[in-house]
Amino acid sequence: MTAAASTAPLLDATIVLTDVSRWYGNVVAVNGMSCSVSPGITGLLGPNGAGKSTLLHMLSGFLEPSAGEVTVLGASTWRDPELYRKVGLVPERESVYDSLTGYEFVLLNARLQGITDPVEATRRSIREVDLEDAAQRSTGGYSKGMKQRIKIAAALVHDPEILLLDEPFNGADPRQRLHMTELFRRLAAEGRTLVFSSHILEEVERLAERVLVIVGGRLAAAGDFREIRRLMTDRPHTFIVRTSDDRRLASALVAHESVLGVELIDGRLTVRTSELSAFARAVPSIARSSEVSIFELRATDESLEDVFSYLVNG
Amino acid sequence: MIGILTALTFRQLLGRGRTILIGLLALLPVGLAIVYRLGSHDTDPVGWVAQTLLDGLVVSTLLPLTALVFGTAALGAEIEDGTAVYLLAKPVPRSRIILAKLLAAWVVTITTVLTSGLVAGATGLSGERSGGLLPGFGVALALGALVYCALFVMLSVVTSRSLIAGLAYVFIWEGVINGLFAGTRLLSVRHYTLGVADAFIDLPANVFEAKLDAVTALVMMVVVAGGSTWYAVRRLERFEIGETS
Repeated sequence: MTAAASTAPLLDATIVLTDVSRWYGNVVAVNGMSCSVSPGITGLLGPNGAGKSTLLHMLSGFLEPSAGEVTVLGASTWRDPELYRKVGLVPERESVYDSLTGYEFVLLNARLQGITDPVEATRRSIREVDLEDAAQRSTGGYSKGMKQRIKIAAALVHDPEILLLDEPFNGADPRQRLHMTELFRRLAAEGRTLVFSSHILEEVERLAERVLVIVGGRLAAAGDFREIRRLMTDRPHTFIVRTSDDRRLASALVAHESVLGVELIDGRLTVRTSELSAFARAVPSIARSSEVSIFELRATDESLEDVFSYLVNG
Repeated sequence: MIGILTALTFRQLLGRGRTILIGLLALLPVGLAIVYRLGSHDTDPVGWVAQTLLDGLVVSTLLPLTALVFGTAALGAEIEDGTAVYLLAKPVPRSRIILAKLLAAWVVTITTVLTSGLVAGATGLSGERSGGLLPGFGVALALGALVYCALFVMLSVVTSRSLIAGLAYVFIWEGVINGLFAGTRLLSVRHYTLGVADAFIDLPANVFEAKLDAVTALVMMVVVAGGSTWYAVRRLERFEIGETS
């Protein structure tokens, strides 16, 4: 593991996972995961199939861990409906009760929570997600982004301490994303714990203060987002360069400290670098001093899977 | 809490497609009774209503199919489309969720089956003395609907193929196997229903006679309805929602 995952429980942890595994028959979805989450916004980052939803379902008490323990606010999550007085859940699935209006849907959630003034709580919650204009329309006619927002309103209606969100930005347009980002930041500033999953690095970067990177059911990295981002950026990168004179540039580049190696294969110059930022700064001046023109400079391994693979395997 | 859940379930159960399907099915006995009255017939109306209409059509087909459609949809539809998560992510005892779903399915089923059965029966009898046939079947249908609904609500929590499992129970177990092996009638809601009806009916055995006595039928109804509800609650308490993404 390249980034050391800090598995010691945080002092103010609201969610604690202790050696948690979950398997379905022979398939291991989550494998020996230990970590903790404190108030603020934590992003669960990982490629599709990494085990993010399985983990969120265990956090929300909908899946029993095959081994280990998941606690939220000090109590085990499995088979404890009382948990939901303090936890709000936004599932990934789009479905809501299509025959109900947005207002009725949120009101239903408020009533099932047994709160004292469900009508006022419903109005407040719908206002929070900026959906007042569409509240009296049937949710069956809602767009994907509107359904996401009404689901968030339903999850917020009882003012939970913990909010678990599975891919909350799915289907939201840029304006809605911005609004949701502001809402989540405000909720976190009020001392709540928000955990959201995403497979999009930029989403997590924009919102999360802390991140848990999950790959293949394992915790690949945990901690401050900036630190993990630095690890992702400073990993070895490979570039294909097309120039006016590949051999001359290759011999000039190989002397630079940020370059791990150069290769000329089938007339293509491939450069492997250990420090992306230093390499990016050095390339123009090296090319200029070598009197070589660069036509193309292209990274070969920028998929998110490559980044995750690096974090796990080094 | 049960009231909120029951009201929600009524709204879901009475969707257009399901209502039309069950409505047409419920019209069948009434239509048949009208045809019987209009046609020339040499059969005894009381015997025809008891055996052909109420036993053969209402108890054997309309009652189980209506209970199957509403019983499996009451909670099963939400489990299937993913909206069950909004019920389960609430501080609501699972027993209340099951009881609310059962209540809603039962009310819709008895309303449909009693209306159809009693109107059809009254049409078929057309004022003939029937030895308590209609009140007897009325009580039995109400109790039979409760047992079927409890069974099918439980099936919807246990398997995603509850509709197929329910159809197999109604048409293979009750429709075929009960006719071949007399001992299996002890596990037949249809025979419990007929057994209870028989307790209220004063007709000769050649006109109507149930194959289970009323006491056995009632005891088995309590056992099956109670056991199914208990097991449904237990399974819902351990119900898992999970994806491997």
